[in-house]
Amino acid sequence: MDTPHYVAARVQQALAEDDRTNELGIQVYVRGNQLFLRGQVTGDAQLDVLGQVAAETAPGMTVHNEITVVEVTKPETEEHLG
Amino acid sequence: MDEIRIAAVADIHLGEGMRGRFRPQLDGIEDRADVLLVGGDLTRHGTLDEGQVVAHELRDLPVPVIAVLGNHDYHSDQNIEIIECLRDAGISVLDDSSDVVSVGGMRLGVAGGKGFGGGFAGKCASEFGEPETKAFVRHTREIAERWRHALKDLEADKKVLLSHYSPVKETLVGEPLEIYPFLGSYLLAEAADAAEVDLIIHGHAHKGTEKGLTPGGIRVRNVAMPVIGAAYALYCIA
Ligand SMILES: [Fe+2]
Ligand SMILES: [Fe+2]
Repeated sequence: MDTPHYVAARVQQALAEDDRTNELGIQVYVRGNQLFLRGQVTGDAQLDVLGQVAAETAPGMTVHNEITVVEVTKPETEEHLG
Repeated sequence: MDEIRIAAVADIHLGEGMRGRFRPQLDGIEDRADVLLVGGDLTRHGTLDEGQVVAHELRDLPVPVIAVLGNHDYHSDQNIEIIECLRDAGISVLDDSSDVVSVGGMRLGVAGGKGFGGGFAGKCASEFGEPETKAFVRHTREIAERWRHALKDLEADKKVLLSHYSPVKETLVGEPLEIYPFLGSYLLAEAADAAEVDLIIHGHAHKGTEKGLTPGGIRVRNVAMPVIGAAYALYCIA
C-alpha cells in the first residue's frame, strides 16, 4: 500500500488539476484506507464530482466527503471607513 | 454626497449550471451601493462558456461593475476572450489599467488587475537563479510597475486598488503559511503605498481573513466569497 502522505498529496493535486474540479483549497486526510475531504465550495454541483475524482485517484479507499457548500446571502451590514 | 458606497466580492467561481443563481443576490444592490467591484476568479476553469455565464449574471446592473480576472480565469488560455465578452456586457475589466466612475458629485478611480505572487518582505522569492524563478518574480514586478503608473495617472477624488492576489499577509491568516508566496506579494502593497489609495480590495485566499493594512496604512479587504460569507461586502469611504 502507498504511504498515506503521498496518497493525500496525489488526491489534493488531482482535485486542483482535474478539469472537472479545479478546486485548489480542499484538505485531504488519509487514515488507513479511509480518505477524508474537507473544505468549502460555492456550489453543491461540485460536491459529488470532488468525491468522484478523489475516489478515482485513490482506488480502494473509502472516501468520506465532508466538504460543505457556502450559502451565499445578501450582506447584513456595511463598514464605514473614515 | 459625502460617502462612496462600494460593494465588493471576489471568487464567485461561476460555472455552467450556475446561470441565474448569483444574480438574485444582487437584487436591490443599487439601494446599498454605488458601484460593484469584482476581484477575480470569476469562473471555475477559465473557459469562454463560463465567462458568458459571468457576463449574464453581472450585465445590466443598476450600478457600474468593475472587475479584474483571477488565476482560474487564465486556466484555459481564454482570458482575452473572457475579457472581451465581459466588456461587451458593459462590465469594465481592468487589466493593469484604471477606470473612473462618477458617484454623485465625486469621482471614484479604480486601478488594478490580476496581480501575482512571490511572497512578503523578508520571506519572498527573488529574481535569481533559474529562468523559471526569474520569470515568476519578474511577472509580479512588472505588474506592480504598471499599477504604479496607473495609480499615478488616476485623477479621482477617491482611489481604490482592485486585485485578485493579496498585497499583504494579514488577510491571508487562515491559509497555510507554506502557500503564502502563491497568494500574493508585498510589491503590490508597495505600489499602492506610493500613491494615495483609500482602499485595496482583493480575493484569492478563500480561507483567509477579511481585514488587513498595508505597511503604509491603507485598509485592505479580502472579499473572497467564502471569507465574507455573502454575495458582496459593503464599504463606505468618506
Ligand atoms: Fe478563488
Ligand atoms: Fe484565485
